[in-house]
Amino acid sequence: MRARNRIAYGFLAPYLLIFAVFWIWPIIYSFYLSFLSTRAVPWTWAPHMNWGRLWIDPAFWNALRNTLVILFIQVPVMIALATLLAVLLNSQLLKARGIMRFAFFAPVVVGEVAYAAVFRLMFNADFGVINKILTGVGLPAVSWFSNPTAAMALIIMAVTWRWVGYNAIIILAGLQSIPDDVYEAATLDKVSKTKQFFFITLPLLRPIILVCVVLSVIGTMQLFAEPFLITNRGGPGGATETLGLFLYRQGFTVLNFGYASAVAYTIAGLAIIISLINFWLGRDPK
Amino acid sequence: MAGVTLKNVVKRFGSVQVIHGASLEVEDGEFVVFVGPSGCGKSTLLRIVAGLEDASEGEIEIDGMLVNDVEPADRGIAMVFQSYALYPHMTVEQNLSFGLRMNGNPREDTNRRVQKAAEILRINELMKRRPKQLSGGQRQRVAIGRAIVREPEVFLFDEPLSNLDAELRVQMRVEIARLHSELGTTMIYVTHDQTEAMTLADKIVVLRDGKIEQVGKPLDLYDDPANQFVAGFMGSPKMNFMEASVKSASNGSATVKLVNQGGAMITLPVSDGPAVGDRVTVGVRPEHFRAAGQGDCDIDLNIDVAEHLGSTSYIYANTKSGEQLIVEREESRSEVGLEKLTASIPAQQAFLFDAQGKRLN
Repeated sequence: MRARNRIAYGFLAPYLLIFAVFWIWPIIYSFYLSFLSTRAVPWTWAPHMNWGRLWIDPAFWNALRNTLVILFIQVPVMIALATLLAVLLNSQLLKARGIMRFAFFAPVVVGEVAYAAVFRLMFNADFGVINKILTGVGLPAVSWFSNPTAAMALIIMAVTWRWVGYNAIIILAGLQSIPDDVYEAATLDKVSKTKQFFFITLPLLRPIILVCVVLSVIGTMQLFAEPFLITNRGGPGGATETLGLFLYRQGFTVLNFGYASAVAYTIAGLAIIISLINFWLGRDPK
Repeated sequence: MAGVTLKNVVKRFGSVQVIHGASLEVEDGEFVVFVGPSGCGKSTLLRIVAGLEDASEGEIEIDGMLVNDVEPADRGIAMVFQSYALYPHMTVEQNLSFGLRMNGNPREDTNRRVQKAAEILRINELMKRRPKQLSGGQRQRVAIGRAIVREPEVFLFDEPLSNLDAELRVQMRVEIARLHSELGTTMIYVTHDQTEAMTLADKIVVLRDGKIEQVGKPLDLYDDPANQFVAGFMGSPKMNFMEASVKSASNGSATVKLVNQGGAMITLPVSDGPAVGDRVTVGVRPEHFRAAGQGDCDIDLNIDVAEHLGSTSYIYANTKSGEQLIVEREESRSEVGLEKLTASIPAQQAFLFDAQGKRLN
């Protein structure tokens, strides 16, 4: 190794050391842990136990089902809303565009606990503003925290509220990269605004929407804060328990680190598979 | 096919007025070029004809119909953009057929038109490619093809060649001229390049600061410019302008003193008599300078740079007081390396402008 490189690595060493100890090692070690029985001390080598349990554990399947339900409803709804929002935020007709863009981006900056508390208050079954509005227009009040379906809807709405503006800003950047004269050419081609959106805007936004979808898939696979804080640890009765929450429960409540590690690898694996499917579905058609 | 008429067209962006009452008649089948320096309003005027911008005042007629309130797509025009504005995610074929397909044009007719355009522009081999797989010249052809497919009454070109390299530009210029003679359609073409204007146009419209300075045939503008701006803009290399002051003026002629040429005097025929003492400008095209003693006023020059092009040479020379002039000479091998030159101005070919740039002779 040349002297210059040695010096360079010397400067990099503190970072590499921390990276190795706190990133690389846990990744390797947790993989090893997933093959141990960690239900009692001392931990023992039991390669089939945790991975085998995943297949037959109803609590895991419940968490997986919940996560996928949220994923398949929330991500498409949110991306559709974000695209619509981006188009509106890009409109020349919109006044105070800077403020509007910030306003929709702001939820990302709000602390999770604060926003969860606000959602709990708003959706409170007895005195929350949402039920007041529902009953005000003649609809029945909803038991947001005790009805499993309503609780799931609440989680989906909360996550969507929090991340829609963030995705809209990313999509907005994509919109702004489409040159005006392409739309002018389409206008001269007598293509209506609606058709321009579906046949020009959407296809040109595809790569950026794909990025948003993949980021959202990864985020949703790890969903933790909302079911933990808003629906009170995945309630009612595990109806909103996600894989992230299940992992947390196994690892840090039950202290079964081997099983938690297997769950963690499953989450990562699923996120990768679903993302790859997205990339494949959204590939450039040739 | 159709003519285009502009009547007192005014365009304001907020409080800024960019077009100041433009009136113009474009005949059916004519090739008209809007030319002028950047920011003169030529593209805006074209976009007003296209309907991409609304006129603040005035009337636009296409084929005798008032089109101020007609949608761009219904004006019977097609436009080629400077940046080509191709749909990047579509193949060439899809680019050409997109507008027709979106409007429910019968498939057979669409195919026929696309095929015809592809043949005219010789882009048959490119039909399955995307714009990013094409060279600049090919993209430009596709952009023109997209206009042809619409079978418009009027073609509008907005600086279509300015993104191409010099060689391609010449080639595409010839193509566009060929296209015009083949289709015989009215074309309005915007450029800042006076060479393009001179070579393509049946009629040139020179614009400056949102005003039409002069309209005419290319050689008429060259030979008989209405003012100093047009005289300077048309022609390459540019016309030389020399400061002068009027020493005496009589009926039909004026004697002026060239301020920066050591006080050389020249008598020019004038139609609009200036007063003695007026500041004026004498304009001489580079090719009109004659050899010493063969014109009406000799001026001594120090040669700065000489460009020898083989058949002709351009001499960039300074007068004693530092004014730069360009003199075109028939190439003479014996003049290479020369440091001094005496050129002579022929009075019959010199132009005279007043301080406001108005032509006096």
